[in-house]
Amino acid sequence: MENYRIFDSELDKLAHKVKLMCSQVNHQVIDVIQALNTSDLALAKKVIANDEYINNLDVKIDKLCQKIFALQQPVASDLRYIISALKINNDLERIGDHAVSIAKRIEPLQDYQKLVQELKLEMIGEKTKALFSDVLELVKEHNLEFAERVTTKAEEIKEECREIASKMLTEMMHQSEIVVVAANILIIINLFERISGYSTNIAESISFVVNGEIVKHKK
Amino acid sequence: MILDKIHTEKMFLYYSEKVALKDISIKIPEKRVTAFIGPSGCGKSTFLRSLNRMNDLIDGVKIEGKVMIDNINIYDKNIDVVNLRKKVGMVFQKSNPFAKSIYENIAYGPKINGINDKKQLEEIVETALKNAAIWDEVKDRLGDSALGLSGGQQQRLCIARTLAVNPEIVLMDEPASALDPLSTSKIEELIVQLKEHYTIVIVTHNMQQAARISDNTAFFYLGELIEYDKTKTIFTNPSKKQTEDYITGRFG
Repeated sequence: MENYRIFDSELDKLAHKVKLMCSQVNHQVIDVIQALNTSDLALAKKVIANDEYINNLDVKIDKLCQKIFALQQPVASDLRYIISALKINNDLERIGDHAVSIAKRIEPLQDYQKLVQELKLEMIGEKTKALFSDVLELVKEHNLEFAERVTTKAEEIKEECREIASKMLTEMMHQSEIVVVAANILIIINLFERISGYSTNIAESISFVVNGEIVKHKK
Repeated sequence: MILDKIHTEKMFLYYSEKVALKDISIKIPEKRVTAFIGPSGCGKSTFLRSLNRMNDLIDGVKIEGKVMIDNINIYDKNIDVVNLRKKVGMVFQKSNPFAKSIYENIAYGPKINGINDKKQLEEIVETALKNAAIWDEVKDRLGDSALGLSGGQQQRLCIARTLAVNPEIVLMDEPASALDPLSTSKIEELIVQLKEHYTIVIVTHNMQQAARISDNTAFFYLGELIEYDKTKTIFTNPSKKQTEDYITGRFG
């Protein structure tokens, strides 16, 4: 039989906030991809504005973790969970920032929709959405099957981002007039690549919660 | 290389018919701090006391299996229990200084072991008090009654008294559980220093204390040794669910 611990209500609160953070960031990712695909500047603005909510939640989660560390001295799976909550929170907050950075670069692309379509940025967006829906499931359920899926999908996205970047550079060499917009696209691609990198971090953090093994830097 | 100072093999202990320790096999390394944790009645103190045969004093206690110290079974017939307890000293939960001066508390053991030279005794007293990190607090009042010391000082005096007869192993049964946080931290610091020269085995209910000071931790439950591993493993990723439930307070 398991005891109910006063501590458990704090852990429940933390788990709830981390899931909330993840679903908010998920919305940001979905919205910014939609805004990018449709050149929807109003939606891009909404993404930029929503970041404040995410930043506030980030601070709340940090404070709650500090409080649990200081007052409950967690050990074993509790300890691993709280360490991971801190890291996941940090990763999610960064993903949120990247969504904002992408949102800020949508306007300069407006007159170059043909180029954007040729580069298949939309496909990267769709893959990132699929990736993030697995991240959301992983953070909710701690099911390591999703961790594997996240890692695989993130690798694919990184690979494609590199291919697009290389195409972009070739285009830039031939058409000097697109250099400014191309620089923006390169940055956007880089941001998608980093979002997938942070998603891998989250998968590694959940593996650490479940198994106690540090899997990062292992290939 | 780290040697095993103590090891037990398939050790059982019975109080009359009732089995209190079941099949305990453990290797305790030399010059390390090993902590025993577990809920009340799990057998950890019984096991600690069996390591210097303190249980001999209780009627109806029967021990099976091997309890080896330096590869000698301490329950062999030819073992001199007085010598064993000199080699394996013990510190208890409640400090128990003699109603004598500070000096006499320390000199008592060496004296009954035949040391009478005043200068030699003075040296032993000073070294023991220094090793127990209490010398600076008592050096100017060695003739005062030990009972006038604070609880934390009395406990360090008892540790000094244990060290004065030159043990190799020091068993501690919740040595800091009756002390305030500052005295507790002095005792903990002392334990960590002592492992340079002694093998320390400590029973504690304070899990954070076990985590802070021990190298290895053994978790006992219902007379069995459930898990024994490096302390950092026990407190970050224990392999048994019972250990996890106990250290996280989920035990019910």
